[in-house]
Amino acid sequence: MSGIQFKNVTKYYQDGAGTKLTVLDNVSLTVQPGELVAVIGPSGSGKSTFLSIAGALLQASSGEVIINNTNLTQLSSKQVSKLRLDEIGFIVQTSNLVPYLNVLDQLLVVKKMKGKITAADKAFAKDLLKGVGLEGKLKKYPEHLSGGERQRTAIARAFMNNPDIILADEPTASLDSKRAFEVVELIADFVKTRNKAAIMVTHDERMFSYCDRVYHINDGKLKLVEK
Amino acid sequence: MFLATRELKHSKWRFAMIGMILVLISWLVFILAGLGNGLSTLSAATFKNMDAEYVAYEEGSRHSMSRSVISENLVEDLKASGDVNDAAAMGSHVAVVLKEGVEDDSEKIDVSILGVEPGSFLEPAVVAGKPLTQGDNYQVTVNSSLKDKGIEIGDTLEIEGFNETLEIIGFVEGETFNHLPSIFIDLEHWRAIHFAAPGSDMGVEAPVNAIMLQGDGIEQDKLANALDGIEVATKKEAINGIPGYKEENGTIMMMLGFLLVISAFVIGVFFYVLTLQKANQFGVMKAIGASNGFLAKAIISQITLLAIISIGIGIILTYGTAAILPAGMPFALDSTLVFSYAIILLVVSVLSSLVSVRRITKIDPLQAIGRVE
Repeated sequence: MSGIQFKNVTKYYQDGAGTKLTVLDNVSLTVQPGELVAVIGPSGSGKSTFLSIAGALLQASSGEVIINNTNLTQLSSKQVSKLRLDEIGFIVQTSNLVPYLNVLDQLLVVKKMKGKITAADKAFAKDLLKGVGLEGKLKKYPEHLSGGERQRTAIARAFMNNPDIILADEPTASLDSKRAFEVVELIADFVKTRNKAAIMVTHDERMFSYCDRVYHINDGKLKLVEK
Repeated sequence: MFLATRELKHSKWRFAMIGMILVLISWLVFILAGLGNGLSTLSAATFKNMDAEYVAYEEGSRHSMSRSVISENLVEDLKASGDVNDAAAMGSHVAVVLKEGVEDDSEKIDVSILGVEPGSFLEPAVVAGKPLTQGDNYQVTVNSSLKDKGIEIGDTLEIEGFNETLEIIGFVEGETFNHLPSIFIDLEHWRAIHFAAPGSDMGVEAPVNAIMLQGDGIEQDKLANALDGIEVATKKEAINGIPGYKEENGTIMMMLGFLLVISAFVIGVFFYVLTLQKANQFGVMKAIGASNGFLAKAIISQITLLAIISIGIGIILTYGTAAILPAGMPFALDSTLVFSYAIILLVVSVLSSLVSVRRITKIDPLQAIGRVE
């Protein structure tokens, strides 16, 4: 099945004295295409680790992570980097745009990582940017954008390769609530209309109305929160 | 190139500054190279031009024309030995000459008077006038740089401390020796000038300074042992034996070497610091799928582009400088020299970027997650 699956995923670190520090404890979760799932938790709860494992940036210590029927544990680092490029769209935090690329190039660089940029890619990028309301700012650099506009650029970038999985890392950090709502609404809208499986890590409880399910993570344990 | 050109454009001033350093370094490299080339030409052009592979000197002279006196009779013996195809004798003499009829002492010219056998392979072709002949007169061909001193064919030159005068019958080109313009004369008259003081020939019959040998793969030791009182040097050793040649060349080469190392470090460190600064950015790009190769290509093409532009400007500045340098300055740029140093600079720059590339491969895409700036 497509989407993203965690099967009994555990991640631990070993410190110098040999003590195990468990960051993720036996986490199981399935996100289907078209679903937006939120993961909340206090800092240090393991939510960044969770997102990093989902995004194939970190290997689980045990258990299986399956993205679009591909078991991540069996991939080489080169294959993992290709999978990230093809299957996963990362929505990073506002400041994490490339400072010397204009809005349009922020999206096109993703295509460039694969090879050539075609006219169709350009059209698609413009279409995405229109979707996030940035059609008038294609040539602007991140330094000339507001926080909300930057985040919307990041969202559009995450969809550029038409990935099946969308992972968002604190997409509302450093945004005021009006902008935060707009941004999450946009993510939810994109996820539904384009049928993606999406996980959003956030501490922002105001956004839950847009999510299909909300999980709470604490001390590495994932629990479904009743809405 | 996608990232490289866009970043260069976006951070113009940052890159203009490092580019400027590279421009200045390459400018200096080219000027030093031209100067080195000019000096070594001035010092040894006649040796470099001559069509000979080996030189026979007096034993113990340590490859120096001025320390060596051997007999011209050895030419026949040398020709007779197996590997030598041809041999011709040469003598050198440093003198001060003055155009006849000129009274002003400030018009004196320092020259190297070189004795050669007319018609031998050591006699350079004339570009104007007539070649040397065996004769009773002190006829000479001179380097064309003397034209700048107002000397023409048919003029005569007085030699300081010598009674006879030299008649100029031809010009040769690009012939300098011991930093002085060369004057060619037949051996017999050279001897009369050089050994003018009685007994200065040390009793050697038909004395010359050295005998130039043609022939590939001559076994130097074997030849030196076969004949009494000589040592045999390669042409390269002979050039290095010219007073001052090795020292001049060594100094300039050392400066060039240092400059190349400095440029490698300046560029390498600049891009390394830049890479450290952009570690988070590279992490984000890796998280969204950029491979190491993609990022490495970006930085290498950036350095290559910057280096090509800077070195190009350096070359233009060098030719500009060459145009305004005084004519007498020993400065000789040839395009192969410029081209080879340009390539060396480019290679050094690109190699220095490998430190940054190594750093990029170590950046963890995890950096992109869970941090707010």
